[in-house]
Amino acid sequence: MNGREIGWAIIEGMIAGMRPSVKEEVMDFEKIYTRYNVLEEEKKAGLKPEALIKDMMPSEDPWKTMAYAVFRGDTDTALNELKIALEKYKPQEVVDKGLAPGMNAVTKLYDDGVYYLPQVMLSADTMNTAIQYMEQTIGGKIEKKGKIVMHTAEGDIHDLGKNLAKVFLVSSGWDVIDLGRDVPVDDVVKAVEEIKPLMVTGTALMTTTMTAFPKIAKKLKEKGIEIPFICGGGAVNEDFIDTFDLGIIAKKAHQGPKYAEAALKGMSWEEIRKKRHEIAPI
Amino acid sequence: MIKRYTSMEYKNPDDLVFGKALYPVSGRFGINIGAGFVVPEIKVAPKPGTEKDLETFVEHHKEITTEVLDICLQLGYKNIMIEQEHVFQQTLNPDYAYETALAQVEIAEKYHDEYGIGVLIEHTIADIRKEEEEGGIRGSDRTHRMFDAFEQSSSAGVGSVAIETIGGKEISDYTIGRGDIKGTLFGIGVCGSEDMAWVWPQIVKIATKHGTIPAGDTDCSQANTAMFLAGGLMDREVSHTVAAVIRAIAAAKSLVAVEAGAIGPLKDCGYENPIVKAITGVPICIECTSICACAHIEVMGNLNRATGDVYSNEAVEYHQEFGGSTAEVWTAVTGNAADLSNTALQARQEKILRDLLTYSDMYRDPQGLVLAWPNAWRIGKVITEYGNDPYLRSKYAAIEAGNIIMEAYENKKLKLSRWELDTLNKAMEILNSLTDDADKFIEDCIKEYKNIPLFDPKNYGWTGA
Ligand code: B12
Repeated sequence: MNGREIGWAIIEGMIAGMRPSVKEEVMDFEKIYTRYNVLEEEKKAGLKPEALIKDMMPSEDPWKTMAYAVFRGDTDTALNELKIALEKYKPQEVVDKGLAPGMNAVTKLYDDGVYYLPQVMLSADTMNTAIQYMEQTIGGKIEKKGKIVMHTAEGDIHDLGKNLAKVFLVSSGWDVIDLGRDVPVDDVVKAVEEIKPLMVTGTALMTTTMTAFPKIAKKLKEKGIEIPFICGGGAVNEDFIDTFDLGIIAKKAHQGPKYAEAALKGMSWEEIRKKRHEIAPI
Repeated sequence: MIKRYTSMEYKNPDDLVFGKALYPVSGRFGINIGAGFVVPEIKVAPKPGTEKDLETFVEHHKEITTEVLDICLQLGYKNIMIEQEHVFQQTLNPDYAYETALAQVEIAEKYHDEYGIGVLIEHTIADIRKEEEEGGIRGSDRTHRMFDAFEQSSSAGVGSVAIETIGGKEISDYTIGRGDIKGTLFGIGVCGSEDMAWVWPQIVKIATKHGTIPAGDTDCSQANTAMFLAGGLMDREVSHTVAAVIRAIAAAKSLVAVEAGAIGPLKDCGYENPIVKAITGVPICIECTSICACAHIEVMGNLNRATGDVYSNEAVEYHQEFGGSTAEVWTAVTGNAADLSNTALQARQEKILRDLLTYSDMYRDPQGLVLAWPNAWRIGKVITEYGNDPYLRSKYAAIEAGNIIMEAYENKKLKLSRWELDTLNKAMEILNSLTDDADKFIEDCIKEYKNIPLFDPKNYGWTGA
């Protein structure tokens, strides 16, 4: 035994020798609580994730290997495949046929309760690295579905939710202009005026900072800009967001792309707000 | 200036119990913490909009403080800790910090003089530093304003000051969601500890100058972010086993405040506090769902009440409930929880209550398991074995937490899902493969994580990169 192991033996001895004032042996913890996640997983034990998304994935190479590389978050393989494919195909085709199906598959499994966030994050990282690589080689931008301006409210540095939502948006093909955190109301308004995005998003985690949202909405309306303003962050709820025009509540990061698709279809902020439960279920 | 802990102040884990700390803290207005009884704590976030001008803001703080103290009289509470967690505007503007503190202190003094109630007013300064600001987290305008806020609140006479530092957060924000344990260990155990070792001696100096207690710090920005993302049993964002391992790393980090001279009560948001108490003997504030559901709903239920010296509601926004304002309602919740523990102490039955509180949640989730007092002590013991090296003690704390979870799983006490088990096994494999040489680890991480947005080694005093 080395010194460390002797240390362990002592600790373990002490703990084993300790007599808690309440006897653990007599207790049946299952009568107190249930770990429902364990049960839930048992129900899904027979499911093979790869079988569930097989139909969504390309069946021929190079697209197949590329899509599965994104699906597994295997950046090296994705880049290798992509370099070869670029000799024959246009970047847009590579995105549509190779990369996007892999990302869509991961998102579907996440939405269906089979996959977990880190799996989505890793696939998104692969997807984004691949797109960046292509943009660098062609020296231009790959065509995106549309522009989205994101920010965290003035005075608020809680940007985790915004960053998560950004991962979902970028990896599903949107051109995200991220203004960062603690962004003054006027800077958001100015950026929207200049960039003319399809929608704008805000995140606020504090009750003292969420008050920036109605101010932004009011200023945008005054300038005649009537785009959906997706508002997220722990501090906000629909009771608050529904009090001002343009505002639409988002509770989960994966709702972002769904709202964006609705805006792309031409739905107004009022329609999206009304149908939010159908458009972007939680 | 930093006195590292290389041995445990609590020699016997069984001595860890609520309301009693080896080194109680006393302060103005008759306050004693960890001295044989539990003190309730209330924290109310100001009503939105009241920050718009100084006068309205100060009036609102007076209203909250008065309501809290009145309800304490109505319900017969002997002590209360009133924490004001600065909103952004309060730390940014010196007069906001000073004037609110002064108003609260005057009211506290009046109630203490008139009724003998013990009152601790604590100001928690917001860590408003931003990595991207000119000068970084060590030298920007905001850094100076943050320290100035300590000066303002202390000079106005608050009983104690605290903070929740954000060092290393840019790293952990990126790595936690990706399930990357190596990066998280670097962000918390190394960067976070470095930052605290820089910030804390300065806080201690300011507070002591004014006779204010330098209370403590937490790993809210990292371990609580993991706990938050981990969420409930049905959430699928961060694995609960990994969140538990991250909590152990957080203990090795939050300990730095005490090593730099903080004396407690350690700040509430630090769920890792039981571990730090086991190491240092310093009294702690705690929260868990049964008393703080207004702010956090997690799976620790009653558990942290087993070792806490102050029971906190964590935070609630000011508004009306049927029972009264939230200031009144949540003072009543924490006050009653504290008095149940105080009854146990008077009846000399505190260990029974402690163990009931512990068992009520110990196997509900791995996050509670690692904070249960025998395990908190065990993790503390490992931290002190490597006490001189912030990296190594974080690494081995993480591994010990993993061992504790695996033992409970193998003994069939704790059930784990496949995902929880797989993510734990993967994290343990990575942790076990890491070097024991801190310099090598840091050098390697600086390279590996250099592209994380906002990460700048200079913020942690590393220039050679
Ligand atoms: C982690 C945390 C921090 C970290 C932030 C790390 C970071 N980079 O963001 C740190 C430690 C830095 C921090 C600091 C502070 N914090 Co804080 N913090 C939290 C905590 C524990 C969790 C927040 C979090 O990250 N949640 C996880 C993320 C993912 O959730 P989310 O942002 O809500 O996002 C989800 C959805 O809202 C949605 N979403 C969000 N945005 C978007 C956008 C789109 C487009 C879509 C589709 C979806 C979407 O998707 C996400 C889920 O999928 C909360 C506790 C709580 N109850 O919320 C307190 C909390 C928010 N903090 C609070 C406070 C007071 C502070 C401080 C002022 C404390 C202080 N005195 O120092 C400072 C703030 C300084 C400042 N100027 O901002 C209070 C706010 C109280 C209030 N007034 O309202 C809270 C509520 C804690 C409490 N109970 O008191 N904090």
